[in-house]
Amino acid sequence: MSNDIFVITEHMDGKFSDVSFEMVGKAKELAAALGGQAVAVVLGGGVDVNGFASDSTIQVDDPALAQFNPEACGKVIEALAREKSPRLVLFGWTATGMDLAAWLSARLGQPCVAYVKGVSLDGGGLTVSSQVYGGKMVAEVAPQGDMAILAVLAGSFPVEAGQGSTAASQIASPVPLDGLKVKFVEAIKPAAGDVDITAQAKLVSIGRGIGGKENVELAEELAQALGGTVSASRPVVDAGWLPRTRQVGKSGLKVKPKLYLMLGISGAPEHLEGMKSAELIIAINTDKKAPIFNVAHYGATADLFEVAEAMLELL
Amino acid sequence: MNIIVAIKHIPSIADDLPVNGSNLDFDSVDFVLNEFDEQSIEQAVLVKEASGGTVTVVGVDLIGELDNVLHLALAKGADKAVKITADDPGADSHQQAGWLAEAIRDMSPDIVFTGVQASNDLDGQIGPMLAARLDLPYIGGVSSVDVVDGAATVNKEFAGGVGAKYAVSLPVVVGVQAASKPPRYAPISKVRQIAQTAAIGKVAPSGDGAGAGLAFKKMAPPVAAGHAKMFTGSPKEVAAQIVELLKGRGLA
Amino acid sequence: MLTTIEKIIFVLLALTSAGFFFHGVATIVRSVRAGRPGPELKSVPASLIKAGITVLFQRTIFKARRVLSAVHLGLFFGLITYAFVNLVDALEGLVPGFDLVYGGRHLAFPFLNAHAINTFNLISDLMSGALLFSITVMLVRRFIVKDKRLSYRENVLLHPKVLTGGQAVDSLIVDVFVIMHVIARLSSQAFRLDAGPDPFMPIASAINGLFGASETGVHVAWWISLGWVLFILPYITRSKHTHFTVGPINLGLAKQNPRGQLDPAVPLQTANGNHYEPGAKHIHDLAWKRLLDPYACVQCNRCQDVCPANFYGRPLSPSALEVNKRYLLKEATFGAHPDRLLLPLTETVISPEAVWSCTTCYACVRVCPVGNEPMADIVDIRRRLILDGAELDSGVQNALQSLATNGNWMSKGKRLRGRWAKEMEFPIKNATEEPVETLWFVGDTASFDERVIPNTQMVARVFNHAGLDFGILYQNESNAGNDVRRVGEEGLFEQLVEQNMEAFGKAQFQRIVTTDPHSFNTLKNEYPQFGGKFEVKHYTVALLRLFEEGKLTVKNKLPHYKVTFHDPCYLGRYNGGFTAPRKLLELVGVEFDEMPRNCENSFCCGAGGGQIWMGKVAPGERPAENRIKEALATFEKNPGDKQQLFIVTCPKDMIMYSDAVKTTGNEGRIEVRDLIQLVAEAVGVEEPEMVA
Repeated sequence: MSNDIFVITEHMDGKFSDVSFEMVGKAKELAAALGGQAVAVVLGGGVDVNGFASDSTIQVDDPALAQFNPEACGKVIEALAREKSPRLVLFGWTATGMDLAAWLSARLGQPCVAYVKGVSLDGGGLTVSSQVYGGKMVAEVAPQGDMAILAVLAGSFPVEAGQGSTAASQIASPVPLDGLKVKFVEAIKPAAGDVDITAQAKLVSIGRGIGGKENVELAEELAQALGGTVSASRPVVDAGWLPRTRQVGKSGLKVKPKLYLMLGISGAPEHLEGMKSAELIIAINTDKKAPIFNVAHYGATADLFEVAEAMLELL
Repeated sequence: MNIIVAIKHIPSIADDLPVNGSNLDFDSVDFVLNEFDEQSIEQAVLVKEASGGTVTVVGVDLIGELDNVLHLALAKGADKAVKITADDPGADSHQQAGWLAEAIRDMSPDIVFTGVQASNDLDGQIGPMLAARLDLPYIGGVSSVDVVDGAATVNKEFAGGVGAKYAVSLPVVVGVQAASKPPRYAPISKVRQIAQTAAIGKVAPSGDGAGAGLAFKKMAPPVAAGHAKMFTGSPKEVAAQIVELLKGRGLA
Repeated sequence: MLTTIEKIIFVLLALTSAGFFFHGVATIVRSVRAGRPGPELKSVPASLIKAGITVLFQRTIFKARRVLSAVHLGLFFGLITYAFVNLVDALEGLVPGFDLVYGGRHLAFPFLNAHAINTFNLISDLMSGALLFSITVMLVRRFIVKDKRLSYRENVLLHPKVLTGGQAVDSLIVDVFVIMHVIARLSSQAFRLDAGPDPFMPIASAINGLFGASETGVHVAWWISLGWVLFILPYITRSKHTHFTVGPINLGLAKQNPRGQLDPAVPLQTANGNHYEPGAKHIHDLAWKRLLDPYACVQCNRCQDVCPANFYGRPLSPSALEVNKRYLLKEATFGAHPDRLLLPLTETVISPEAVWSCTTCYACVRVCPVGNEPMADIVDIRRRLILDGAELDSGVQNALQSLATNGNWMSKGKRLRGRWAKEMEFPIKNATEEPVETLWFVGDTASFDERVIPNTQMVARVFNHAGLDFGILYQNESNAGNDVRRVGEEGLFEQLVEQNMEAFGKAQFQRIVTTDPHSFNTLKNEYPQFGGKFEVKHYTVALLRLFEEGKLTVKNKLPHYKVTFHDPCYLGRYNGGFTAPRKLLELVGVEFDEMPRNCENSFCCGAGGGQIWMGKVAPGERPAENRIKEALATFEKNPGDKQQLFIVTCPKDMIMYSDAVKTTGNEGRIEVRDLIQLVAEAVGVEEPEMVA
């Protein structure tokens, strides 16, 4: 049993995601307190692996890990965890980490906490806070056991603390990765020609409150009048009212515009993850208790259609 | 093809959530079907409609009200429904996954659908845990599934329209983010008719019943870090204030 | 008068005509009988006699278009007269010596005296003129002025025959027939006046002055006059002019149960052993009476005039629905296309978009002079669409799903239903925990919508102020289901009824008071069929009663307000609740201006029948916006500087009209308020300052 903390980093197109750095930073802090090491684990290649502030970085390279493959990743991580017995294994609560954290927990018979917002140590005991029930509740729990697997919400910790220059060491996969049942076929890129909402300075973002596909036009007119474009929360995209490329949030894109004008978005944590660093957030919602008002800089309890129409007249 | 859908009955977040001690007061909350399970049921029925097979929906009956949900699933096109009678509203994902795994193993599944996540997945989702316990591969965040000749082709979503296509040999556990078509509406008369005639299989919880291994210390609404400055007045006045603010900042 | 050869020819022709006529009638009867059993009709002979009297006084037609209705009087009485005239003319032709001119100069039947004959001649002569005048007005209206009300919007689904002007041809043929027939008849009379003018036949005498008398002329004109009749009788059974006879019969067979009670989704009398799927997919899924409706319809389009969806530019015209039904039945029975009967109604008689734009306001049924019920067809079509899993508007689907799980359409938790009450300065009883005299059924919008809750709370304060012993059901209340039923989700409606009946079962109370007219309607008219027989009152009636009992008294009159009042469909047109709100307005002493469209003829706000759930918002002037303009125009007739209020008594109206005031840019000119706010102000009940 060690007091090491494993951070399962994630990368795509040659870039690590912010949450990887966030977790490394947090792991470093916790490892120091526990007397262990913060170990960044990189699966696959094609990425600069020497940029973490971790105590050590190990890169497992194998053709099966060239693209994300939940089965291959799971096998490698399970083998590493069994071999090194870290105190904590950190995943991002992301499209990739979500495939692995609970799986590993069940494989190892060790506790898992998802939706993690905070981790603290007091007197050697571990307390994890988790934002559950759509952000309506925060649970504080103490994982019982030798190891704990945590799946961390992006944006919970500072990115900078995880950035550094630790040189990585390469190792071969501790388990054979042949005969996999899951095979990567091809990447799916966003529909060509659509705007890149991450590059927009102004976003008019719409949520369930927009009501129907036919009303998206109003938001588009407003965005055009402001010189920006339209983005949306997950329900709008799931309903097919806008393409996936316009989705902001955990399963969508992270945006950091100068203006983020929200129409009818109540502010689920998954959405907040994607937009909370916008410079100016203005939220219009009919529900005065919508959680978004705790995050937005300015807000109004009003009918979004009326406000949008009135704004159009003034612009 | 034997298509299984494992579902979760979870506290409704449409209500205020009352707390009892360091967890929810489960006696005072309404339970609803996890919204992602609506997607996974739809995806299962779509696969059945395209490739044939039977759809069996199975869930843990935590409060004795799972029948309503199962009837709805049957009305939407599932063929069989099974409930695991646990009668423990606080059962966590680990416990539920354990019981579900035992029940599903006996069903010799070809493909198991689950919702990609649930709002009460404090200890992780049941999908990956089922896969681990059944020794099957798991792939989550899935937005379309096609089954041809014992293999599934699935699209997994990463973020912002970026995704990947995977080929998976069956059996497999799939975590559905969104069905390839929006879930259909089940007319209540059909649901009610089914409620009168359908036989719902009952299974007692079996297996190790191991829980998440988490000790609850506190459950409370988040402390708001701040609050937006609120514009008041008629929508026109609100619009005028917003436009003024934007102009002041050179944004309009 | 006729020669023997002529008589033989006439009798043969008459028999042929009768054969075609009865074939036509039999075909219509057969096509109607193919429909489903309808709700049981009670005392049919009495209803038919009553309808006959109504028709004789032309009462139903005068509900709208007064001037044209007066012209219709000329047609109606003219044609009735001509039915007798043709009979008499036939007798004159066939019976030797039977001759009615000059007071019955050659009369062979001594029991008819000269006074009676002269009276008959005078009426016939004058009605000929009236008929010619009326028919000319109608022709000019249709073909020269081209009254737009006779046409349909381009987006309305129309049978190909209608698109190619089938009805106009029908009108032209029958109109020309009437003109030719009347002129021929007048001429035949004129040619008979061999002793100069008959003072009791002024028009015929005038014609006689031009051409004189002629035996040949009599024969030719007689043949033209009656020959036309023999031709037109069979034609009528195959045209929209079945209206002449089916109209009154249809009125006699019209809906007998309360307006606010929809027919069940499957016929109640299933003794014939047939199995019926709920609702209507094909035309024969409609009840037989609804298959008779199109034969009564003459496409006057009064229904289209009052239809809020049609006003809004949606592809719905109740009249088009009826005319499409008639052509569909006609081509299946007389024509070569019985296969078209097997197409869904949404392809043959009404477009899906039109089906989903009906607000179920009942204005079309109310205004129809011949007792048609197009709205009922639409609800039946919706019922089957929902059952068959048709794609629903996303907003409607969300609302229905929420209603099924939460008992309200706003995706709010059940426990939040009573939150407005818990936030008040005094406790409100939970009727499931302690007995109350009045059980207040609050409804979804009044319970959850932030814009309406201040009104809800004010109702509570006024009730409390009056010492009314009242309580609410808190989380045990579910949506009453009125609009759920009208959107076509019968199963969900039944589920909601059961939930509410269970809640009522837990409570002890004397009567139910509702805020929402929609809840009021279904609780009053439809719950009894599910065993829920309660005294149900709208809150306006409850308030009036509190005034009458002296429990509420006006402390401050409110003459500084100038108000108008909108009758909610489900309170007014459906349930006749016109007087209580107006009496309350009188009591509180405001200046009251009535809008042109009021009471029975009130114009729907556009929210009913599930429209308020629609995710899709269509372009164009909304009914509610038009109504606000109507209110302002009403105020302008009597200008002044008083504060102008648009008074509502329905939570949905509060939302619809507040929006409409803003979207029409009339903030500051007119304000939408619930009647309760005026009552509260008048009796001196105020919102406490310290309500969190």
